Amino acid sequence: MFERVLGGPGGLIPNAVQKRVWNVALYVIALLVVIFVLTPLYLMIVVAVQSPETLFSGGQLTLIPPKLSLDNFRTLIEQTPTVSYFVNSVIITGSSVFLSTALAVISGYSLTRFDLTGKSIIARIVLFSYMISPIVLAIPLYVIFFRLGLLNQYISAILAVTAISAPFSIWLMWQYFQNIPIAYEESAWTRGASRWRAARDIVLPLARPGYISVAIFAFAVAWNDYTMVRIVLNDQALYPLTVGSELIFQEVFVGWGEQMSMMLIMSFPPFLVAAFLQNYLLQGFNLGHG
Amino acid sequence: MGKTITLDGITKEFGSIVAVNDVSLTIPKNEFVTLVGPSGSGKTTLLRVISGLETPTSGRITIGDKDVTDETPQDRPLSMVFQNIALYPHMSCRENINYGLKIHGVPTDERNERAEEAARSLQIADQLDKNPSELSGGQQQRVALGRAFVEDPEILLLDEPMSDLDAKLKEELRVEFQRLHRELDATFVYVTHDQNEAMTMSDKIAVMRSGSVEQFDTPETIFHDPVSEHVATFIGTPSTNVLDCEVDGDVARTESAAIQLPETASNEDRVRVGIRPQYLSVGGGEIAFDVAIDVIEPLGIDYVVHTTTVEGDKEVNVVTEEVSDLEPGDTITVGVSLENIYLFTADGQRIRAPTARQTEV
Repeated sequence: MFERVLGGPGGLIPNAVQKRVWNVALYVIALLVVIFVLTPLYLMIVVAVQSPETLFSGGQLTLIPPKLSLDNFRTLIEQTPTVSYFVNSVIITGSSVFLSTALAVISGYSLTRFDLTGKSIIARIVLFSYMISPIVLAIPLYVIFFRLGLLNQYISAILAVTAISAPFSIWLMWQYFQNIPIAYEESAWTRGASRWRAARDIVLPLARPGYISVAIFAFAVAWNDYTMVRIVLNDQALYPLTVGSELIFQEVFVGWGEQMSMMLIMSFPPFLVAAFLQNYLLQGFNLGHG
Repeated sequence: MGKTITLDGITKEFGSIVAVNDVSLTIPKNEFVTLVGPSGSGKTTLLRVISGLETPTSGRITIGDKDVTDETPQDRPLSMVFQNIALYPHMSCRENINYGLKIHGVPTDERNERAEEAARSLQIADQLDKNPSELSGGQQQRVALGRAFVEDPEILLLDEPMSDLDAKLKEELRVEFQRLHRELDATFVYVTHDQNEAMTMSDKIAVMRSGSVEQFDTPETIFHDPVSEHVATFIGTPSTNVLDCEVDGDVARTESAAIQLPETASNEDRVRVGIRPQYLSVGGGEIAFDVAIDVIEPLGIDYVVHTTTVEGDKEVNVVTEEVSDLEPGDTITVGVSLENIYLFTADGQRIRAPTARQTEV
């Protein structure tokens, strides 16, 4: 409503001033967001890398560690099943990422390239199922896995976690494929390429930002999942970090330092993924507008 | 070696929409045939049916003497150039041109050789190792052309390949298409909505309207002897003038003019008279009427005088070489000789005089 009066070309405030104010505001807001996000992270790291002796020395939390120590990590690795939980996490997450991405690519391709009856209904149901809270799905899934005799195996955790990420993955891939003109494939077909060949040579390379986004999303869901895994697994040997860390935190020898070290271990893979693949993520969610 | 394409009763429906309605057409081998028509006339659909990308609802397609109706696009001996160019953005121009050869298992050396030869003939040899996104629109379309003909197709289908290019490039590529056609020894089927492209390049033109082919003839015949008002007004610039006339006995009256009708038209209530702007002359003729000048457009040697008829308020264009004594606002008399008019029924069908005088031009 102020556009005509204050901002925009021809407003009361000169363009150069507007631009400067806008830049300053942008940086101030960015700075606030960064502080808000980084403070807890900093606390986590600071607590994780100090030995218990220095952590509360002087009765206060030491915010600038005088000496770095990896004691906390050593305790976790030597006295708790952290390593095995980590491996479980990797197995469950890796399989789920693969499954969810494959499902999304195949469904997305089919939904955009074939004339299926009831296509839009399928798509709507898929998206609607994403609206349902995982805990609502958890109990029926438990019953299904129980009947199938799949409880307490990696496969049930993998399938359950994939069920959470798949609807959105499929929807995202479906949108992404819509942005790849069918003419690319048609041109390949008229030159003799089979449907499979055209999909492999033309569509998949072009869809790469899309399926990498999907994989990142599926990774985030699977790595951080607690509910599904907690319900379908009850053998401690199969627990991933999320569920396993809860058990570790109950041990008497585990203090703040060990807890934060555990948090750091858990956050490390997502951090790596974000750091290396964020460009793809942005491209993927841009859906061809960029 | 080009092949003859025979379409026999091709109909294509999309749900309740009939895109192509019972088209039968024989496209002779090695000819340059253009499908032209306004948007929605079914020309692209017809091309896609020929390519195999669409399956006809009914009818048969024969290429050479082989019935290909049930064959996939992969198995038909043709190449296609698309309206949106559709170069693969993740491949270099060389790979784009090579891709079809690669699929057919041609060894790398030969592939490169043929791509380079194609690129040389299209004057894009130095662009071969660039990405398509680094090229201009015209160069991209040349690459698209190159990848279509590098495989030596028997039939080349072109779906509005120039609709996104500017006028200068269109002229260049128009020459390119004709040169390729001469060199390639292939049947060309070219789709466009631009009658100018159709007139300048084709051996034969099929004028389409709402899913049907109205006339299939050489450009000269289409221009001088249109079968309907639609063909007459669609082909030629400026567009053919059409005047509405009342029939009074054996005379059609319009404005200030009266036209002696042939016997074949005597049972019509109204007729429509088509006059090409090029045949109208300032000052009068066998049929003359008064018009008021609105705008005079110079075209270089000629001028197009846009006028409205004094009585009926109909737009009439006149092409003339001499405009020095004409001013917008003036009322002038224009005329045409009887043999240079077309008569149409009220619904646009051509009425021919019983004597066959209209074919020789």
